[in-house]
Amino acid sequence: MTLNLPEICTVDSVTPLWKQRMPEVGKLKAGEVLILDADSVKRYDGSAEALIIEVHRCAAAQGFSVEYRDAVAVISKTLKIFNPAVFSDHTAYDLPPRNTHTVVQVGESAVRIWRDIVDVLAFLGEVVTSGLSFLVRPGRLRLRDTMLCIERAGMDALPIVALIGFLIGLILAFLSGSSMRQFGVEVYVADLICIGLFREMGALITAIILAGRTGSAFAAELGTMKVNEEIDALTTLSLPPVLFLALPRVLAAAFVLPFLSIFAVVMGLFGGFVVLWMMDIPAITYWQHVFNAITVNNVLIGLTKALTFGVLVGLSGCSHGLHTKRSADAVGQAATASVVGSLVLITIFDGIFSVLLFVLDI
Amino acid sequence: MNDTVIEVKDMVAGYEGRVILKDISFTVAQGETFVVLGGSGCGKSTLLKHLIGLHPLLSGEVRILGHRIQDGGEGEREAAMRSFGVTYQSGALFGSMTLLENVCLPLESFTDLPSDARRLIAEMKLELVGLKPFANYFPTDVSGGMKKRAAIARAMALDPQVLLLDEPSAGLDPVTSAELDHLILRLRDTHGISFVIVTHELASIYAVGDRCIMLDAETRTIIAEGKPAELRDHSPLEKVRTFFSPNQR
Repeated sequence: MTLNLPEICTVDSVTPLWKQRMPEVGKLKAGEVLILDADSVKRYDGSAEALIIEVHRCAAAQGFSVEYRDAVAVISKTLKIFNPAVFSDHTAYDLPPRNTHTVVQVGESAVRIWRDIVDVLAFLGEVVTSGLSFLVRPGRLRLRDTMLCIERAGMDALPIVALIGFLIGLILAFLSGSSMRQFGVEVYVADLICIGLFREMGALITAIILAGRTGSAFAAELGTMKVNEEIDALTTLSLPPVLFLALPRVLAAAFVLPFLSIFAVVMGLFGGFVVLWMMDIPAITYWQHVFNAITVNNVLIGLTKALTFGVLVGLSGCSHGLHTKRSADAVGQAATASVVGSLVLITIFDGIFSVLLFVLDI
Repeated sequence: MNDTVIEVKDMVAGYEGRVILKDISFTVAQGETFVVLGGSGCGKSTLLKHLIGLHPLLSGEVRILGHRIQDGGEGEREAAMRSFGVTYQSGALFGSMTLLENVCLPLESFTDLPSDARRLIAEMKLELVGLKPFANYFPTDVSGGMKKRAAIARAMALDPQVLLLDEPSAGLDPVTSAELDHLILRLRDTHGISFVIVTHELASIYAVGDRCIMLDAETRTIIAEGKPAELRDHSPLEKVRTFFSPNQR
């Protein structure tokens, strides 16, 4: 068999050789001879060099011999630069096959979530320790950064919180109103919305917004700082990153979430009012029911949940940001992981609150 | 046969109408290692970015292997873009890919070669820069010098005739920097690649530079052109002599 290399032996002319002739070369057996004719080559590139190396690899593996026609020394030059034996082991570079069994994946996810929770709780310990050092030397907390975080997490989030809060109130009122109207008690929708928003939905919805909007931003911001070695610079300046970067953000998230939650509740009550107004319930009746349903317990429960969720979102965002690996895609992964981590933690702690409130009969 | 690979005529470069460089004219010959040097802020990287068409010229013309990169049609521009490879200061490797995948990427995008051929070519490029044993490593797992070598391998994936390197020695220790210089010389000799190297590292300039131009922040143009040793010893401008012999101030 003869393999002729063309005059212009570059990728455009080598591609057909790879596709059509190399399978034939792959079938040659021990004792057979391949003539590699490079006499007419005037110009060649890396694809031609790769073809020459591939022929030699096949010859070594299959036992056939190769005769050169190498008037312009293309083959000898290539073999001088590259040793075909070096390229004999493809499998050494194959990535280990990923186990895609569903059970394994579920297990891996569970372990990952558990590790996330443990990491966030460990990080909570670091933040608390930093918080204590802040109490000893309040000047070490960067107030300007904290205020900036509060503005970004709080003031800038008002439009989206208003929209979502209003729509949640509206949807709750529609869902419950249509059922309760059949029994002629649609006026109690006001009580339901008020209690539901204050005790549960206000804090939960706002926390989810904060996790998606602010927690991910914390993770991306700190992750980028990690990639740019700014975190290392802080450490070498003996400025603890947790105190200088994480604490202001966690405090900001914890501070703004109760206010945002109350704001969402108020907007939700207006959403409910619109629905009941459409159901011909007088405004005075609606607001009377609302104010009667507001109790100190309901408000405090909502605020406590909001404060807790705020801390969790701040912790998750900062923890994932500070533990980012040093690459651009790791920053994206950190932002995603911070949102997922926040949602998992919020759900777990909401469940704990529900059990506690049930046990305490509040 | 014309052995000029890059021709720059009366280039005026800058951003949003602000002139950073003016009256820039030079040529780079086949197989030559051409160095663009100058102090910080003189416009070295600006020159490189305009040379490769990342930013439009304010005026003038750049031809790479005869193709106009700025004002030519889309076909001419693509032909020009395929004829050179570029490496950036940080290496600019894609962090989500292994070194092998980084080198394979241009081959996947611009050739119809079968996957085993692409892989072999990528391995051979990595072997050329001494990184084949690290083919399966991610950029975060290798040193700064290795990243720069991997970036050179990626830039060579499509066998360009010209390689443009932006500050290849920046941030490297002298030994690694010297290894990189050797690599550049070896690639020039074995593959006939022309190099345009933007740098201010004197050791590298002397080691690899066949010819150089020096840019000046004050006059915003080329103030010297020639062989590095000649400029050091015979330049009429004190500024140039001082650049080459900073310890003799």
